Amino acid sequence: MRITQSMLASNSLRHLSNSYLKMGKYQDQLSTGKKITKPSDDPVVAMKGMFYRSDLTGVDQYKRNTSEMHLWMDNSEAGLEQANSALQRIRELVVGGNNGTLSPTDRQAIASEVEQLKQDLVKTANTQVAGRYIFHGTDVLNPPVADGTPPVVATNITDSAQLKVIDNYQVEVANGVYLKANVNPGNAFSQELFTTVDNIQKALANNTPSNLDSLLGELDNEMSIISSERSELGARSNRLDMVENRIDQQEVLANQVLSDNEDADIEKVIMDMTTQESVHRAALSVGSRIIQPTLMDFLR
Amino acid sequence: MGSTFMGLETARRGMLAQQSALYTTGQNVANASTPGYSRQRVNFAQTEAYPSIGIDREQIPGQMGTGVKAGSIQRVRESFLDVQYRGENNKLGYWQTRSDAMSKLESIMNEPSDSGLASTMDQFWQSLQDLAVDPTNNGARSVVRQRGEAVVDTFNYLSNSLSSIQKDQKSQVDVTVKEVNSILYQINKVNEQIGSVEPHGYLPNDLYDERDRLIDQLSSIVNINVSYTKKAGNTDPKAEGQAVIKLVDDNGSELGILLGDSGMNELKVKDDGVDQSIKTISLGNQSIDFTKMNSSGKLKALIEAYGYEENGKAAGVYNDMLSELDRLAYTFATKFNEVHQNGFSPNEIKNKASDSIDFFADSGNAAIAQVGFASRIIISDDIKESLDNIATAGGTNVAEATIGDATNVRALANVINEKFDYKSGATVELADFRTYYQNVIGAMAVTSQQAERLTSNSTFLQQAVDEKRQSVSSVSLDEEMTNMIQFQHAYNASARMITMQDELLDKIINGMGTGGR
Repeated sequence: MRITQSMLASNSLRHLSNSYLKMGKYQDQLSTGKKITKPSDDPVVAMKGMFYRSDLTGVDQYKRNTSEMHLWMDNSEAGLEQANSALQRIRELVVGGNNGTLSPTDRQAIASEVEQLKQDLVKTANTQVAGRYIFHGTDVLNPPVADGTPPVVATNITDSAQLKVIDNYQVEVANGVYLKANVNPGNAFSQELFTTVDNIQKALANNTPSNLDSLLGELDNEMSIISSERSELGARSNRLDMVENRIDQQEVLANQVLSDNEDADIEKVIMDMTTQESVHRAALSVGSRIIQPTLMDFLR
Repeated sequence: MGSTFMGLETARRGMLAQQSALYTTGQNVANASTPGYSRQRVNFAQTEAYPSIGIDREQIPGQMGTGVKAGSIQRVRESFLDVQYRGENNKLGYWQTRSDAMSKLESIMNEPSDSGLASTMDQFWQSLQDLAVDPTNNGARSVVRQRGEAVVDTFNYLSNSLSSIQKDQKSQVDVTVKEVNSILYQINKVNEQIGSVEPHGYLPNDLYDERDRLIDQLSSIVNINVSYTKKAGNTDPKAEGQAVIKLVDDNGSELGILLGDSGMNELKVKDDGVDQSIKTISLGNQSIDFTKMNSSGKLKALIEAYGYEENGKAAGVYNDMLSELDRLAYTFATKFNEVHQNGFSPNEIKNKASDSIDFFADSGNAAIAQVGFASRIIISDDIKESLDNIATAGGTNVAEATIGDATNVRALANVINEKFDYKSGATVELADFRTYYQNVIGAMAVTSQQAERLTSNSTFLQQAVDEKRQSVSSVSLDEEMTNMIQFQHAYNASARMITMQDELLDKIINGMGTGGR
């Protein structure tokens, strides 16, 4: 084959520009840290990358959702705890007030303490977290209990059909998996509870200790309802912890998969880059050597 | 016996022939870097021997050579390699242009990234999730509206950018058509000049080179077949004749004549299809349907990118992507609105009256229309007016609905994950928004990758053929120098022969018959 100067010149130009093209690719990979800069570099990596990104966004979001769950559950737990200790105190007072040796004035004093505890129960039932009433299901902007003698529980709690509608403050913690964040408003702070406490207060104030025995039974009943609600909440809280653990694992995995899929292997790229660099230098030097001399340099 | 001065004549012819070879060498060296130049050589031929055969021929022992002549000056070129080169150049023209168009498309779609449609949609979904967790939070509500704005803005931006690139592509088509016609005009002129030179027995090498260069250029734009017809007269057998250029399809069958005996046929590309897409291509008086123009090259790639009419619809790289965006926007917005209408917004709960509020709207029509929707999708005025028009609560009875209920906003977030028939094709293909969009991007990436790969393949082949061609036709300075020395010495030697003849004659004229003086 006949090779001419112009062929050598255009070939070495082409080799140099190919070499620049490769170095440009390595430069892109090193400065972005990614294997690809556009989908056509590797369609599969690009498509998977889009999928894993959405996946990761989802995991991030579910993680964020669980913190809201915690806010609700922890506050509900605290509220129930407080209600429980108030009821415990009322129980002690009822047992004390039932003592025959007490004078009506003594009972009056106990009654006023029960009054304070009743108001505390109302306050607890109307606990607000970030401006929302947490013991009113989804009807978060209206207080579940209004002051009164006895305090009045909202109608959508007393009416069982309506209760069903509001009793589902749910949060999505995984794709299609919902966890209930609220406690059943009908069980936690029912009308019966407030009526019972109010009756206890009346029995003490009116000095009719004979009623207290049956009222004590009702109070125990209400307390057991609350504690069963608490244990249900605790069980749900455990489930939330498990979900959170899983989400954390998922996040790590999703990040790893995303990184495996599209992050450049820096060590390898730098090695390739260095190799390409020496190839480039060789191409430059060989080009400069073979293009320059011609027969003219040697003719007299 | 030959004449007294025969030797002088032989040497003179030698000098003349070597001189013309030196001039040709000079021409080669001067044009070493002229594009399209093929090196030339002088075909030396011996002159007629003496004596010639005849009844009165001289009776001498044999025929004697009478010297040399420059028979003809010819280009060194392999026409078979030209055909190969043009074939590869044609494919390169097609794939390179297609790859350019695809890479523009890729950079507009900008996937995978943190700012493309996919991640905008992810963010919209996140904002809906945040609102679902706390539907009373006005901040979360306003984030939903803002992320919704971002989604419609992204749709608008993608659609508008594609449309403007498409317009740009149209002007490229027009410029390319002009280029084809200009090249044809020039080839026609060169053809005419060649036609007037050849009958005189000359080989117009420079005109051949120019014509081949122009045909090379033309071959990258459209697929052509070149044949030659010779004119009568005193034409040299090595003359090439008039070029006839036909437009052929990829199987080599003729579609029309670009340049014939009667001159050039002007090429026109008409945007007479739907949505200004290209439907017919005319060549002189002949019309060709674009879908039948299976002739690769830059022009076809440009038209395929810009858009052409196929089965009554506008197809093409950009048109296809635009309609995919329309489908995505249309199906998503319709389904999202359906769910949104069913839910109850804080305003509806407050007024205890159910109302059908849309989240997305069409800026051009009262009801959402699919064609071109991606460029017109907006957030509805109701949502823009009040954040409390975002329907977060679900249920059947508005009187019982509560503001803390997030059933509907969860359903809204689910619209993104739910499977619909986005394609709305002949067969139902269910896919959720992200998967469908991923498939669109994947298909684009594969097409683009293929175009890129074939570009580099055809570049390689074109270069290989070009190298072969260069190997035959390009000027090697070393070779020319060697030839120069050779011709120069031959010239000098011929001159020396004249001196020698001079000495012989001197002997005859001045030295003979003087014996005894």
